[in-house]
Amino acid sequence: MSDATLSKWTMSYFTAACLFLVIGQGMMVSGYGYPFADVGAPATLALVHILAIGWLGLLMVGALLQFVPVLVTASLRGGRLALPALLLLIAGLLLLVGGFAAVAGTEGMAPGMLPFGALFLAIGFGLVTIMLAATLAAARPLPLPARFVAVGLIASSVTILLGGTFTLVLSGAVANDAAIALLLKGVPLHAALGLAGWLTFTAIGVSYRLLPMFMLAPDCTRATSKAVWWTGVAALALVAACVVSIATGSAAVKLPLSLAALLAAVATLFYSADLVRLFRERRRKTVELNIRASYAAFAALFVSVVMFALPVTSSADGEGAAAVVYLFVFGWLTGLGLAQLYKIVPFLTWLECYGPVLGRAAVPRVQDLVEEKRASRWFCLYYGAVAAATFSLFAESPTAFRIALLAQLCATVGLIVELVRARILSSVAAPMPFPAGAPRPRLFLPISRPQE
Amino acid sequence: MSEAMNASVCDAIREALRMIIDPELGHNIVDLGLIYDVSVEDGGVAHVTMTTTTRGCPASEYLKEAVRNCVWYVPGVEFAEIRLTYEPPWTPEMMSA
Repeated sequence: MSDATLSKWTMSYFTAACLFLVIGQGMMVSGYGYPFADVGAPATLALVHILAIGWLGLLMVGALLQFVPVLVTASLRGGRLALPALLLLIAGLLLLVGGFAAVAGTEGMAPGMLPFGALFLAIGFGLVTIMLAATLAAARPLPLPARFVAVGLIASSVTILLGGTFTLVLSGAVANDAAIALLLKGVPLHAALGLAGWLTFTAIGVSYRLLPMFMLAPDCTRATSKAVWWTGVAALALVAACVVSIATGSAAVKLPLSLAALLAAVATLFYSADLVRLFRERRRKTVELNIRASYAAFAALFVSVVMFALPVTSSADGEGAAAVVYLFVFGWLTGLGLAQLYKIVPFLTWLECYGPVLGRAAVPRVQDLVEEKRASRWFCLYYGAVAAATFSLFAESPTAFRIALLAQLCATVGLIVELVRARILSSVAAPMPFPAGAPRPRLFLPISRPQE
Repeated sequence: MSEAMNASVCDAIREALRMIIDPELGHNIVDLGLIYDVSVEDGGVAHVTMTTTTRGCPASEYLKEAVRNCVWYVPGVEFAEIRLTYEPPWTPEMMSA
């Protein structure tokens, strides 16, 4: 029997995440951070963390609180920690951004905010890890998608510890050689563990469960899927070993990092093969917009990894490498996030509003809560803008980059408006929007009668 | 109740369950093959064995409750027992529509 239920605070996580995405993109449009500032400038670091923690991190946590119980068919453990974790993560992020602003010379801010921000973030992510790890631990042996999530949680813990070390050095609280070496050489590893180990590996795992569900494709564990897990774990282990190596004063990290990049490319190839097979074997011939938009994100993942593996782009400093990272963050991670939000938000809204009256009144389908034609235009604009922004970074054209970013921001806002419309049931034809006894969903606050 | 009457109530239950849709697929749960078995004992005790398209789906409990509510109001049913099972797991091949 299923124990999976509605996650009480997931919509609040999603709302905060969307706000940070708009803030982050708005900052970029206004010329804040790279490429208008140095890649290592405090402004860039503030921007990167608003997007990585505020947008992608909160989005992923909100989704995992809802879907880890689905992956393991068990109730979420410690669900009461979800709200404190959300508040700690937001407070930690704001302190971190304030700390970076202080490093940049902004008055009224202090560099000491950096380690406090890291501490809040560590406690917040720690609470999330406790909830998810306890849920996973109670459901052993884990199915393959859940094993991806477990590895992602480990990667996120290492990422946070590494970032916390950086803040101690930047604020002047710590000045030992190992910590300084980590700050000087470990930033790319911090980014790799966060973006690839935590966010990408977890997203891949969840996709192995959600894609067969949404496309009615065979939901079985394939050898290629296991190969994705093993090669991915090997790549992440090498990156983690390099962190230890740097901290202990060894300089021999180039070869293991090259090997890790190769393994990541192999994992992406296996994953791409799985995605193609799932699409071909689907029983649902007409796929919905969230799937079509997700496959655009998968294409961005594939292209960004291929570009990363090619010597001409991987060895390029500045705009070349930045363009690859941009495509990875906005084409792959953000594109997938927006595409899945376009399905998850109406689905959760349907459960909140129509689940309690199902069988007692006529109810719409989940698909009736959205207007795909309008949203598909926003997704086209979004991916077109991401492609244009990536090319403009390659071409070292800040003006073109800014114009593409503006289009990207407009598309993002358009998609968020579509999510709000789904939330307020504006597309549901009368007389179905509010059958007798159906609770009205709130925009972002928890459902009034959660199932515990 | 006679066997013929029980069979007639079973048919009525299946017909009534067609008003319940799977929210994701948009089809009724009978045509989707989510209702594995319906039986009625003497005294109007109805037993329904059902599944959902995905194990662990957050909609599972709502679907189960909807089936219970729906069966309860079928004339001739005095008590409804609903069992949610994943043996065998649902596959798209079970759809009849």
